[in-house]
Amino acid sequence: MRGVAADRQATPAERLRFALALAAGKGTGAAGRLLNVGGGTSLPGAVARRIDPLVLQKVASASTARKAMITGSNGKTTTCRMLAAIARNVGVSVAQNRTGSNLLHGVTSVAVREADMRGRMDAGLLLLEVDEATMRRAVPEVVPDVILVTNIFRDQLDRFGELYAMARMLEAAVETLPPRAAAVLNGDDPLVASLARHAVARRLYYGLRVPDAGTDVPEHAADTIRCVRCLHALDYRRVYLSHLGDYECPGCGSRRPDLDVAVTEVRSSPTGGTDATIETPAGTMRVHVPLPGLHNVYNTAAALAGAFALETLDPASAQSALAGLRPAFGRLEEIKADGRLIILSFVKNPTSYNATLRMILQRPGPKHVLAAHSNTPVDGEDFAWLWDVDLEDLVPDLTSLVVSGTRAEEVALRLKYAGADPARMRVIPGREAALDAALARVPPDEPLYILAGYTPMREFRRIMQRRGWVPPFWEE
Amino acid sequence: MEQAAPRTVRICHLYPKLFSVAGDRGNLRALTSRCAWRGIGYSVDEADVGVVPDFTEADLILLHGGQDTEMRVAARDLGTKAGPLREAIEGGAVVLAVCAGYQLLGKYYAPVGAPPITGTGVLDAITEGGSTRFIGHIAVACDLGGDGQHSLVGFENHSGRTYLGSGATPLGRVITGSGNNGEDGNEGARYRDVYATYLHGPVLPKNPWLTDHLISRALLHRYGQLGAPDSVASLASLADQTESEAHAAALRLACRPAGKWRAVMAAGKQLATGKGTAWTSR
Repeated sequence: MRGVAADRQATPAERLRFALALAAGKGTGAAGRLLNVGGGTSLPGAVARRIDPLVLQKVASASTARKAMITGSNGKTTTCRMLAAIARNVGVSVAQNRTGSNLLHGVTSVAVREADMRGRMDAGLLLLEVDEATMRRAVPEVVPDVILVTNIFRDQLDRFGELYAMARMLEAAVETLPPRAAAVLNGDDPLVASLARHAVARRLYYGLRVPDAGTDVPEHAADTIRCVRCLHALDYRRVYLSHLGDYECPGCGSRRPDLDVAVTEVRSSPTGGTDATIETPAGTMRVHVPLPGLHNVYNTAAALAGAFALETLDPASAQSALAGLRPAFGRLEEIKADGRLIILSFVKNPTSYNATLRMILQRPGPKHVLAAHSNTPVDGEDFAWLWDVDLEDLVPDLTSLVVSGTRAEEVALRLKYAGADPARMRVIPGREAALDAALARVPPDEPLYILAGYTPMREFRRIMQRRGWVPPFWEE
Repeated sequence: MEQAAPRTVRICHLYPKLFSVAGDRGNLRALTSRCAWRGIGYSVDEADVGVVPDFTEADLILLHGGQDTEMRVAARDLGTKAGPLREAIEGGAVVLAVCAGYQLLGKYYAPVGAPPITGTGVLDAITEGGSTRFIGHIAVACDLGGDGQHSLVGFENHSGRTYLGSGATPLGRVITGSGNNGEDGNEGARYRDVYATYLHGPVLPKNPWLTDHLISRALLHRYGQLGAPDSVASLASLADQTESEAHAAALRLACRPAGKWRAVMAAGKQLATGKGTAWTSR
């Protein structure tokens, strides 16, 4: 461990280094916004850390803000947006990384942006969406009051190695929390619920207790999870999503923990949103969330549990905050493009991709699709998971298909074996050319569905921003 | 030439639920699609934990990868399957084994800090756990006889280091990547018609030549020499442009120099930590 600045008086050289790091980081962010190069979401942090590697730790430890870190395979961004809305609605100012740039540099950028030149931060809540693999390094620097783990899916195994190894890594992070801190855990995820049974921090579990939702057995082979303790196949009373549900191990008797926040009723509303009844320690709430799907019910329960742990849960205020949400960018985001409609979806693993496909297939009309993936440090190198996506369900509805990204050939191959006719598929790795080619095939009254990984999704959005179809990221 | 009489390949898919971690079902889809496109019939018999399939009725057996946790479950279960599986292999059944499936066909896998896992011993191979993982694109030069040399491309992600004994031959030589152990340049293993590899990705869709090799060997197992194809050349050829492009792209990825960004970061780190330059610290 490197020395912590607060342990002793900082030397003038150290103070200068800290100030320089903040100035350089802030300058980089301003330059990035001025030059319109993607909002400069991780570069300010990268620059600041190069000058003072302890810059995040120093800003965090000097701040009186409550600090929450949200991690997990899916739902991080939406859960963060919900938590931020709930906190703001009770008058708490929130500093957060809003753009999904959730690696160490992105997290540091928030601190650099929000701190003044002396390293003081005004916000009442520092809300950080953090990549699973980054938790190990970010938790000791931030020392959060709350860690919230949404779920652990088989997401980007090339980056994380094994699922269980990642669970152990998150567990180690949770176990460093002091007794006054809280871990908010998805009780329906056997891997997450098993985390940190020996942690001194308080644990809060959220989940679903809805008899008429879900299925009896996991839907996909790839969703199968065994008992973390004894490796026996789990028995499910109810499976709500992938391997999330109400489970029990016939081998060792371990079962889903008692839920502190429990969704007891879910109805899809005609407006495309969701109504849910949720029991919380602050009382039973009826909420309307203008986002579709059971995964967003989980995000809502997570946000309410997180808000309770952060002492910002006021039921009436939370209800109005949730009702006023808009989808995060790239989550079935509807974009008007010169008289045409684009529906942009960010897909990054089988679970999120299948959930998105289900919602797209529920919509009427022909399906014009632009599918894109690229290999980058954020998106990963290994796209084997595309073979666990139910693209076979999409192919019969396809009217036109363009594939793009630096891994366009891989996407094309997957779609060919899902049944798409290669002669009618266009492979255009360049994003702008692909977008134009895809739009050219769509009649004015039919939407274009874009299904893209993180980097191509941002690239498409940047092109659309240049054309005036969407506002820039940092105005979101 | 294609025969008029309908032919069928009987596929046995071992542990489809337990071992389905990295798109492995793509291998099954490649096999069944390329059979169907040629008018070759297929059947798929799934055998998960607790089910012993009739291996004498299988022409092509699939054994995929999983994580260490799931591998222990499979190893326990394989005890009851190992005997008939070995007999089938000695009888010429074709096997594709990937990652953990490969390790389980060997004699043992000894992970770091955990008790060893006993394998079936079909392959003369042992696997030792390593503290680091081999993760990345990989390209392998293979010569299975018949229609000459091919490159096998895909992605590897394993911490096990596998060493072959004299009873097994490597599936190929590593062009770029780590392969069996990162030391001896070998990748995968062959014994009779067992083809074992660390490549997933999944491996077959991007390497149609291997898929077709497995199909033709499976047909040979089913129908024998008489009137059956004994080489890939006798399978009807398919329009493989999409496959060729994906193969070429994967080969480019495997052969590209280390990422520019990674190189810059490494250089920056050396400067920042004052550890000197690469050529003095070596």
